Amino acid sequence: MGKVLRVGVSLTTGLLLMGYVVGLVAEPGAFGSHAVEQAHLAGGARFPHSLAAVWDGVGHGNGAAIIVAGILVLILTPVAGLVTSAVAFARRHDWLFTAISATVLSVILGSFVLGWLSA
Amino acid sequence: MSIVELSLVLCGISILAGALGSLLGLGGGFVIVPVLTLVFHLDIRLAIGTSIVAVAATSCAGAARNVTESITNLRVATFLALATTMGALTGALLAGVFDARFLFALFGIVLAASGAQMVRKRPVRAVPVTTPALETVGVAAGLEGGAGGGGLADRLALHSAYFDEAEGLHVPYVVANTGLGLGLMYLAGTLSGLLGIGSGVLKVPAMDLAMHMPMKVSSATSNLLIGLTAAASALVYFARGDIDPLIAGPVALGILLGASQGSRWLASISSDRLRVLFVSVLAVVAVQMIWKGIG
Repeated sequence: MGKVLRVGVSLTTGLLLMGYVVGLVAEPGAFGSHAVEQAHLAGGARFPHSLAAVWDGVGHGNGAAIIVAGILVLILTPVAGLVTSAVAFARRHDWLFTAISATVLSVILGSFVLGWLSA
Repeated sequence: MSIVELSLVLCGISILAGALGSLLGLGGGFVIVPVLTLVFHLDIRLAIGTSIVAVAATSCAGAARNVTESITNLRVATFLALATTMGALTGALLAGVFDARFLFALFGIVLAASGAQMVRKRPVRAVPVTTPALETVGVAAGLEGGAGGGGLADRLALHSAYFDEAEGLHVPYVVANTGLGLGLMYLAGTLSGLLGIGSGVLKVPAMDLAMHMPMKVSSATSNLLIGLTAAASALVYFARGDIDPLIAGPVALGILLGASQGSRWLASISSDRLRVLFVSVLAVVAVQMIWKGIG
């Protein structure tokens, strides 16, 4: 499980940094301007906040989308760790804890669905 | 300031927050939300969204190490995660309903409570015993266990042991009051989802005091739990558009760096002195947050 967590952290870091590099190279105006910074602080900035938008943005080489992808990887890393531990429980035939792990996973997945529905 | 400059500033602040957090056992949330709202005047919901990302980062930075060293009690973590994730979901959904001022006031109160907790001296819980057989420990638990969760902990085989490097001893322990622990975890999870904090401030005492787990195990297990709690609420904030990549991104990077290297950098500074300084700052910030909630 430790390994999964470490891989997640590395992947996140890579994506976050890459997003900034791509953003600065592709849209130096957007990343360099004062007005954009004000918009972000005022909460009026537009950025991808759905999986489809992120996927689309990454495909188009949008720096902000790549950063969002990195953040999503970070958020999902502990979840990946949970999956790993569920598999370990199953291998040891500990079905009770495999079921508990699966339930936790479904709560987390449920949160995604609810969030998507309420948006 | 341009976005790049803002990002660098946020990253720098987060490195410090991560380092302090890993040393003092407080998640990045307590620094991130006040700084973003009081200094940068960011909308509190965006600040909380960012903070949840910070909590996820804090968890990942520490958990890899703790799990590898077998300090974390994976069974307790998995079981308590049921309550904590459901709480986080509740909290995250409620955050969309509650007024921003209420969130400010609540945050200030929780901040003050954590400060009070940091000041209180914690008695050393685990008395190192030279390895009695785990079966003997289990039987003793069964005999005294009785009310509350003693039976539940037995049935779920939550009791365990860890190797305390500092003491150089193998320390077995018995888990108690599992039911109470579950309830506290639900509450902690709700606060996490509502305020974007890790709620380690509730989780650690829940395990340490209520469930009688050794301090190091409680901290390590809490560290893993906050990551799952964050995951359960972060996706709600994400879908709501409350996670701005150009604010949460640098914060995540900073926390990852600070939390993983922090204890090394701050090793020379007296932990007590740091605690006093932190508590004083916490008190001031708590008052300001409550003020914003009332005013």
